[in-house]
Amino acid sequence: MSYQQLSREFDVLRAEYRKSMPAKLDRIEALWDLILKGMQDDTRLAQLKKELHTIAGSAGTFGLPKVSDVARAAEECLGESADAASLGEKQRTDFIRLLGELKSAAQAPH
Amino acid sequence: MQKAPSASRNALNKDAVYSVTAKGKAELGTAGTHLSAPEVKLLVLIDGQTTVSQLLKQASSSLAPAAAVDAIDKLERDGLITSKAAESDGIEATGFFTRPVFPLPSATAETGAQADFTLELLRKQGYVSRIVKKAAGTRKVEPGQKLIVLVVEDDPQLVKLLRMFLQLEGGYELRFAGNREEITAALRLGKPDLVLLDVTLPDADGFDVLVRMRQHPVLKEIPVIMMTAKASREAVLKGLVAGANGYITKPFQIEVIIQAAKSVLGLA
Repeated sequence: MSYQQLSREFDVLRAEYRKSMPAKLDRIEALWDLILKGMQDDTRLAQLKKELHTIAGSAGTFGLPKVSDVARAAEECLGESADAASLGEKQRTDFIRLLGELKSAAQAPH
Repeated sequence: MQKAPSASRNALNKDAVYSVTAKGKAELGTAGTHLSAPEVKLLVLIDGQTTVSQLLKQASSSLAPAAAVDAIDKLERDGLITSKAAESDGIEATGFFTRPVFPLPSATAETGAQADFTLELLRKQGYVSRIVKKAAGTRKVEPGQKLIVLVVEDDPQLVKLLRMFLQLEGGYELRFAGNREEITAALRLGKPDLVLLDVTLPDADGFDVLVRMRQHPVLKEIPVIMMTAKASREAVLKGLVAGANGYITKPFQIEVIIQAAKSVLGLA
Protein backbone atom coordinates (compact mmCIF):
# COMPACT_ATOMS: atom_id res chain seq x y z
CA MET A 1 0.00 0.00 0.00
CA SER A 2 1.41 3.39 -0.97
CA TYR A 3 1.18 6.41 1.29
CA GLN A 4 -1.41 7.89 -1.07
CA GLN A 5 -3.54 4.79 -0.72
CA LEU A 6 -2.96 4.86 3.02
CA SER A 7 -4.12 8.44 3.16
CA ARG A 8 -7.28 7.48 1.30
CA GLU A 9 -7.83 4.52 3.61
CA PHE A 10 -7.34 6.77 6.61
CA ASP A 11 -9.95 9.15 5.21
CA VAL A 12 -12.33 6.21 4.90
CA LEU A 13 -11.69 5.25 8.53
CA ARG A 14 -12.24 8.84 9.62
CA ALA A 15 -15.52 8.95 7.71
CA GLU A 16 -16.58 5.64 9.25
CA TYR A 17 -15.75 6.96 12.68
CA ARG A 18 -17.84 10.10 12.17
CA LYS A 19 -20.66 7.98 10.86
CA SER A 20 -20.53 5.85 13.99
CA MET A 21 -20.81 8.87 16.31
CA PRO A 22 -24.63 9.25 16.30
CA ALA A 23 -25.10 5.64 17.41
CA LYS A 24 -22.53 6.13 20.17
CA LEU A 25 -24.25 9.31 21.33
CA ASP A 26 -27.62 7.58 21.24
CA ARG A 27 -26.24 4.86 23.52
CA ILE A 28 -24.85 7.47 25.88
CA GLU A 29 -28.17 9.33 25.97
CA ALA A 30 -30.12 6.13 26.52
CA LEU A 31 -27.85 5.15 29.40
CA TRP A 32 -28.12 8.61 30.92
CA ASP A 33 -31.93 8.50 30.64
CA LEU A 34 -32.03 5.21 32.49
CA ILE A 35 -29.75 6.62 35.17
CA LEU A 36 -31.91 9.75 35.52
CA LYS A 37 -35.02 7.62 35.79
CA GLY A 38 -33.44 6.12 38.85
CA MET A 39 -33.01 2.61 37.53
CA GLN A 40 -30.67 1.34 40.19
CA ASP A 41 -28.18 -0.58 38.14
CA ASP A 42 -24.56 0.26 38.91
CA THR A 43 -23.35 -1.29 35.69
CA ARG A 44 -25.09 1.44 33.67
CA LEU A 45 -22.99 4.22 35.15
CA ALA A 46 -19.83 2.19 34.63
CA GLN A 47 -20.94 1.50 31.07
CA LEU A 48 -21.62 5.19 30.50
CA LYS A 49 -18.15 6.11 31.77
CA LYS A 50 -16.59 3.44 29.56
CA GLU A 51 -18.41 4.76 26.47
CA LEU A 52 -17.21 8.28 27.21
CA HIS A 53 -13.70 7.07 27.95
CA THR A 54 -13.53 5.24 24.62
CA ILE A 55 -14.70 8.30 22.71
CA ALA A 56 -12.28 10.53 24.63
CA GLY A 57 -9.47 8.20 23.67
CA SER A 58 -10.26 7.81 20.01
CA ALA A 59 -12.16 10.77 18.51
CA GLY A 60 -9.07 12.99 18.33
CA THR A 61 -7.15 10.31 16.44
CA PHE A 62 -9.93 10.29 13.85
CA GLY A 63 -9.91 14.05 13.42
CA LEU A 64 -12.42 15.06 16.09
CA PRO A 65 -10.28 16.60 18.84
CA LYS A 66 -13.10 18.70 20.26
CA VAL A 67 -15.23 15.56 20.67
CA SER A 68 -12.39 13.94 22.60
CA ASP A 69 -12.04 16.95 24.86
CA VAL A 70 -15.76 17.15 25.69
CA ALA A 71 -16.05 13.39 26.19
CA ARG A 72 -13.15 13.53 28.63
CA ALA A 73 -14.79 16.43 30.48
CA ALA A 74 -18.04 14.45 30.66
CA GLU A 75 -16.21 11.37 31.96
CA GLU A 76 -14.45 13.49 34.57
CA CYS A 77 -17.75 15.11 35.50
CA LEU A 78 -19.10 11.72 36.55
CA GLY A 79 -15.93 11.30 38.59
CA GLU A 80 -15.66 8.40 40.95
CA SER A 81 -19.41 8.10 41.48
CA ALA A 82 -20.10 4.43 41.77
CA ASP A 83 -23.85 4.56 41.32
CA ALA A 84 -26.57 6.88 40.11
CA ALA A 85 -27.70 7.77 43.64
CA SER A 86 -24.34 9.32 44.46
CA LEU A 87 -24.52 11.81 41.57
CA GLY A 88 -25.05 15.29 42.93
CA GLU A 89 -27.38 17.89 41.44
CA LYS A 90 -24.50 19.94 40.05
CA GLN A 91 -22.95 16.85 38.49
CA ARG A 92 -26.23 16.07 36.77
CA THR A 93 -26.65 19.63 35.47
CA ASP A 94 -23.06 19.80 34.26
CA PHE A 95 -23.34 16.42 32.61
CA ILE A 96 -26.47 17.41 30.68
CA ARG A 97 -24.68 20.53 29.47
CA LEU A 98 -21.64 18.49 28.40
CA LEU A 99 -23.86 15.97 26.63
CA GLY A 100 -25.27 18.86 24.57
CA GLU A 101 -21.76 20.08 23.81
CA LEU A 102 -20.73 16.58 22.80
CA LYS A 103 -23.57 16.36 20.30
CA SER A 104 -22.75 19.77 18.85
CA ALA A 105 -19.04 18.91 18.55
CA ALA A 106 -19.85 15.62 16.81
CA GLN A 107 -22.18 17.34 14.35
CA ALA A 108 -19.92 20.32 13.63
CA PRO A 109 -18.52 20.41 10.10
CA HIS A 110 -14.90 19.25 9.87
CA MET B 1 16.60 -39.77 21.28
CA GLN B 2 14.00 -39.01 23.86
CA LYS B 3 13.02 -35.42 24.48
CA ALA B 4 14.11 -34.03 27.81
CA PRO B 5 11.16 -33.28 30.03
CA SER B 6 10.38 -29.62 30.58
CA ALA B 7 9.30 -30.29 34.13
CA SER B 8 10.89 -32.73 36.52
CA ARG B 9 8.82 -34.53 39.08
CA ASN B 10 9.76 -32.14 41.83
CA ALA B 11 9.29 -29.03 39.75
CA LEU B 12 6.15 -29.97 37.85
CA ASN B 13 4.21 -26.80 37.23
CA LYS B 14 0.71 -27.35 38.52
CA ASP B 15 -0.62 -24.58 36.29
CA ALA B 16 0.82 -26.21 33.19
CA VAL B 17 -1.53 -27.46 30.51
CA TYR B 18 -0.71 -30.52 28.45
CA SER B 19 -2.11 -31.83 25.21
CA VAL B 20 -1.84 -35.27 23.68
CA THR B 21 0.60 -35.51 20.77
CA ALA B 22 -0.09 -37.45 17.57
CA LYS B 23 2.03 -40.25 19.02
CA GLY B 24 -0.09 -40.19 22.17
CA LYS B 25 -3.31 -40.33 20.17
CA ALA B 26 -1.96 -43.27 18.20
CA GLU B 27 -1.05 -44.98 21.46
CA LEU B 28 -4.60 -44.49 22.72
CA GLY B 29 -5.92 -46.02 19.52
CA THR B 30 -3.84 -49.17 19.66
CA ALA B 31 -5.43 -52.41 20.74
CA GLY B 32 -2.60 -53.30 23.07
CA THR B 33 -0.72 -50.55 24.87
CA HIS B 34 2.45 -50.78 26.89
CA LEU B 35 1.30 -47.98 29.15
CA SER B 36 0.39 -48.51 32.78
CA ALA B 37 -3.21 -47.98 33.90
CA PRO B 38 -2.44 -44.58 35.52
CA GLU B 39 -0.70 -43.43 32.35
CA VAL B 40 -3.67 -44.44 30.20
CA LYS B 41 -6.06 -42.73 32.59
CA LEU B 42 -4.10 -39.48 32.42
CA LEU B 43 -3.73 -39.71 28.66
CA VAL B 44 -7.51 -39.89 28.43
CA LEU B 45 -7.99 -36.98 30.84
CA ILE B 46 -5.46 -34.67 29.16
CA ASP B 47 -7.36 -32.39 26.79
CA GLY B 48 -5.20 -29.37 26.11
CA GLN B 49 -7.21 -27.23 28.53
CA THR B 50 -7.10 -28.84 31.95
CA THR B 51 -4.24 -27.81 34.21
CA VAL B 52 -2.02 -30.34 35.98
CA SER B 53 -3.56 -29.35 39.27
CA GLN B 54 -7.07 -30.09 37.93
CA LEU B 55 -5.86 -33.37 36.42
CA LEU B 56 -4.45 -34.45 39.77
CA LYS B 57 -7.81 -33.72 41.38
CA GLN B 58 -9.75 -35.59 38.71
CA ALA B 59 -7.46 -38.61 38.99
CA SER B 60 -7.25 -38.52 42.77
CA SER B 61 -9.93 -41.15 43.39
CA SER B 62 -7.87 -43.85 41.71
CA LEU B 63 -4.40 -42.39 41.63
CA ALA B 64 -2.05 -41.11 44.33
CA PRO B 65 -0.74 -37.62 43.50
CA ALA B 66 2.87 -38.80 43.40
CA ALA B 67 1.99 -41.58 40.97
CA ALA B 68 0.08 -39.14 38.80
CA VAL B 69 3.01 -36.74 38.71
CA ASP B 70 5.33 -39.62 37.78
CA ALA B 71 2.93 -40.68 35.04
CA ILE B 72 2.76 -37.16 33.56
CA ASP B 73 6.53 -36.95 33.68
CA LYS B 74 6.89 -40.28 31.85
CA LEU B 75 4.22 -39.47 29.27
CA GLU B 76 6.05 -36.26 28.43
CA ARG B 77 9.44 -37.99 28.24
CA ASP B 78 7.96 -40.57 25.89
CA GLY B 79 6.58 -37.82 23.66
CA LEU B 80 2.97 -38.82 24.20
CA ILE B 81 2.00 -35.47 25.68
CA THR B 82 3.48 -32.02 25.38
CA SER B 83 3.05 -28.90 27.39
CA LYS B 84 1.03 -26.26 25.57
CA ALA B 85 3.87 -23.76 25.88
CA ALA B 86 6.38 -26.14 24.31
CA GLU B 87 3.90 -27.14 21.63
CA SER B 88 3.41 -23.60 20.36
CA ASP B 89 6.87 -22.33 21.16
CA GLY B 90 4.83 -19.95 23.22
CA ILE B 91 4.60 -18.87 26.78
CA GLU B 92 3.14 -20.64 29.75
CA ALA B 93 0.37 -18.13 30.26
CA THR B 94 -2.04 -20.22 32.29
CA GLY B 95 -2.76 -18.35 35.47
CA PHE B 96 -1.39 -15.11 34.03
CA PHE B 97 -4.32 -13.19 35.48
CA THR B 98 -4.79 -15.21 38.63
CA ARG B 99 -1.32 -15.48 40.11
CA PRO B 100 -0.66 -13.16 43.02
CA VAL B 101 1.62 -10.24 42.20
CA PHE B 102 3.90 -8.17 44.39
CA PRO B 103 2.57 -4.68 45.06
CA LEU B 104 4.43 -1.78 43.53
CA PRO B 105 5.40 1.44 45.24
CA SER B 106 2.56 3.91 45.01
CA ALA B 107 2.93 6.67 42.49
CA THR B 108 -0.08 8.52 43.75
CA ALA B 109 1.50 9.11 47.13
CA GLU B 110 3.87 11.63 45.63
CA THR B 111 3.22 15.27 46.12
CA GLY B 112 2.72 17.43 43.04
CA ALA B 113 6.18 18.93 43.31
CA GLN B 114 7.82 15.52 43.60
CA ALA B 115 5.85 14.26 40.62
CA ASP B 116 6.93 17.23 38.51
CA PHE B 117 10.50 16.53 39.49
CA THR B 118 10.12 12.87 38.54
CA LEU B 119 8.82 13.77 35.10
CA GLU B 120 11.69 16.18 34.60
CA LEU B 121 14.10 13.45 35.62
CA LEU B 122 12.52 11.02 33.19
CA ARG B 123 12.92 13.47 30.36
CA LYS B 124 16.59 13.86 31.23
CA GLN B 125 17.00 10.09 31.24
CA GLY B 126 15.95 9.79 27.63
CA TYR B 127 12.19 9.45 27.57
CA VAL B 128 11.00 11.14 24.39
CA SER B 129 7.95 11.35 22.13
CA ARG B 130 5.30 11.87 24.79
CA ILE B 131 7.05 9.59 27.25
CA VAL B 132 8.95 6.82 25.54
CA LYS B 133 12.27 5.39 26.58
CA LYS B 134 14.55 4.62 23.68
CA ALA B 135 16.05 1.15 23.57
CA ALA B 136 19.61 1.07 24.87
CA GLY B 137 21.00 -0.33 21.63
CA THR B 138 20.12 -0.66 17.98
CA ARG B 139 18.31 -3.80 16.93
CA LYS B 140 19.39 -5.54 13.75
CA VAL B 141 16.54 -7.12 11.90
CA GLU B 142 17.42 -9.85 9.41
CA PRO B 143 15.85 -9.66 5.95
CA GLY B 144 12.43 -11.26 6.14
CA GLN B 145 12.44 -11.25 9.93
CA LYS B 146 9.28 -9.89 11.49
CA LEU B 147 9.00 -8.48 14.95
CA ILE B 148 5.93 -9.60 16.81
CA VAL B 149 3.78 -6.76 18.08
CA LEU B 150 0.92 -7.57 20.41
CA VAL B 151 -1.68 -4.82 20.34
CA VAL B 152 -3.95 -4.96 23.38
CA GLU B 153 -6.84 -2.69 22.50
CA ASP B 154 -10.60 -3.19 22.68
CA ASP B 155 -11.75 -0.33 20.46
CA PRO B 156 -12.31 -1.95 17.04
CA GLN B 157 -11.85 1.34 15.21
CA LEU B 158 -8.46 1.96 16.78
CA VAL B 159 -7.52 -1.66 16.12
CA LYS B 160 -8.33 -1.17 12.44
CA LEU B 161 -6.25 1.99 12.31
CA LEU B 162 -3.25 0.47 14.11
CA ARG B 163 -3.40 -2.63 11.91
CA MET B 164 -3.42 -0.52 8.78
CA PHE B 165 -0.47 1.67 9.73
CA LEU B 166 1.68 -1.02 11.32
CA GLN B 167 1.14 -3.27 8.31
CA LEU B 168 2.16 -0.49 5.99
CA GLU B 169 5.23 0.16 8.07
CA GLY B 170 6.17 -3.48 7.42
CA GLY B 171 8.41 -5.78 9.40
CA TYR B 172 5.80 -6.55 12.02
CA GLU B 173 3.76 -9.63 12.70
CA LEU B 174 0.66 -8.30 14.39
CA ARG B 175 -1.43 -9.92 17.07
CA PHE B 176 -4.47 -8.38 18.64
CA ALA B 177 -6.21 -8.91 21.95
CA GLY B 178 -9.10 -7.03 23.49
CA ASN B 179 -9.74 -8.86 26.75
CA ARG B 180 -8.15 -11.21 29.28
CA GLU B 181 -8.90 -14.37 27.37
CA GLU B 182 -7.46 -12.98 24.16
CA ILE B 183 -4.37 -11.69 25.96
CA THR B 184 -3.69 -15.12 27.44
CA ALA B 185 -4.30 -16.78 24.06
CA ALA B 186 -2.01 -14.30 22.29
CA LEU B 187 0.78 -14.87 24.80
CA ARG B 188 0.51 -18.61 24.31
CA LEU B 189 1.32 -18.10 20.63
CA GLY B 190 4.79 -16.92 21.55
CA LYS B 191 6.79 -14.14 23.05
CA PRO B 192 6.06 -10.76 21.49
CA ASP B 193 8.83 -8.25 20.80
CA LEU B 194 6.61 -5.34 21.78
CA VAL B 195 3.27 -4.84 23.51
CA LEU B 196 1.08 -1.82 22.85
CA LEU B 197 -1.17 -1.88 25.85
CA ASP B 198 -4.46 -0.08 26.38
CA VAL B 199 -5.21 0.62 30.03
CA THR B 200 -8.98 0.40 30.15
CA LEU B 201 -10.11 -2.99 28.93
CA PRO B 202 -13.55 -4.56 29.46
CA ASP B 203 -12.36 -7.12 31.99
CA ALA B 204 -8.80 -6.14 32.76
CA ASP B 205 -6.72 -3.20 33.85
CA GLY B 206 -3.70 -2.48 31.66
CA PHE B 207 -1.66 -1.50 34.71
CA ASP B 208 -2.35 -4.92 36.18
CA VAL B 209 -1.36 -6.61 32.91
CA LEU B 210 1.88 -4.64 32.94
CA VAL B 211 2.68 -5.58 36.53
CA ARG B 212 2.00 -9.24 35.75
CA MET B 213 4.25 -9.06 32.71
CA ARG B 214 7.06 -7.49 34.72
CA GLN B 215 6.82 -10.32 37.26
CA HIS B 216 6.67 -13.07 34.63
CA PRO B 217 9.96 -14.89 33.98
CA VAL B 218 9.63 -14.76 30.18
CA LEU B 219 7.71 -11.54 29.66
CA LYS B 220 9.50 -9.25 32.08
CA GLU B 221 11.93 -7.74 29.54
CA ILE B 222 9.44 -7.12 26.74
CA PRO B 223 9.00 -3.43 25.95
CA VAL B 224 5.53 -2.17 26.74
CA ILE B 225 4.01 1.08 25.57
CA MET B 226 0.88 2.08 27.42
CA MET B 227 -1.77 3.75 25.29
CA THR B 228 -4.43 5.37 27.36
CA ALA B 229 -6.92 8.15 27.72
CA LYS B 230 -5.94 8.30 31.39
CA ALA B 231 -3.83 11.38 31.04
CA SER B 232 -3.37 12.43 34.64
CA ARG B 233 0.13 12.82 36.01
CA GLU B 234 -0.61 10.11 38.56
CA ALA B 235 -1.66 7.69 35.83
CA VAL B 236 1.47 8.37 33.78
CA LEU B 237 3.67 7.84 36.82
CA LYS B 238 1.78 4.70 37.76
CA GLY B 239 2.58 3.24 34.35
CA LEU B 240 6.21 4.21 34.50
CA VAL B 241 6.65 2.99 38.07
CA ALA B 242 5.14 -0.33 36.97
CA GLY B 243 7.83 -0.59 34.30
CA ALA B 244 6.27 0.74 31.10
CA ASN B 245 8.78 1.75 28.44
CA GLY B 246 6.44 4.36 27.11
CA TYR B 247 3.23 6.11 27.98
CA ILE B 248 1.24 7.68 25.19
CA THR B 249 -1.97 9.44 25.93
CA LYS B 250 -5.04 9.08 23.77
CA PRO B 251 -6.16 10.44 21.47
CA PHE B 252 -2.81 9.92 19.76
CA GLN B 253 -1.47 10.79 16.39
CA ILE B 254 -0.80 7.49 14.69
CA GLU B 255 2.70 8.61 13.72
CA VAL B 256 3.52 8.99 17.42
CA ILE B 257 2.72 5.34 18.03
CA ILE B 258 4.76 4.19 15.02
CA GLN B 259 7.73 6.29 16.13
CA ALA B 260 7.41 5.15 19.73
CA ALA B 261 7.35 1.50 18.64
CA LYS B 262 10.54 2.00 16.65
CA SER B 263 12.17 3.80 19.57
CA VAL B 264 11.58 1.13 22.18
CA LEU B 265 12.43 -1.64 19.72
CA GLY B 266 15.76 -0.01 18.91
CA LEU B 267 14.82 0.55 15.27
CA ALA B 268 14.86 4.35 15.32
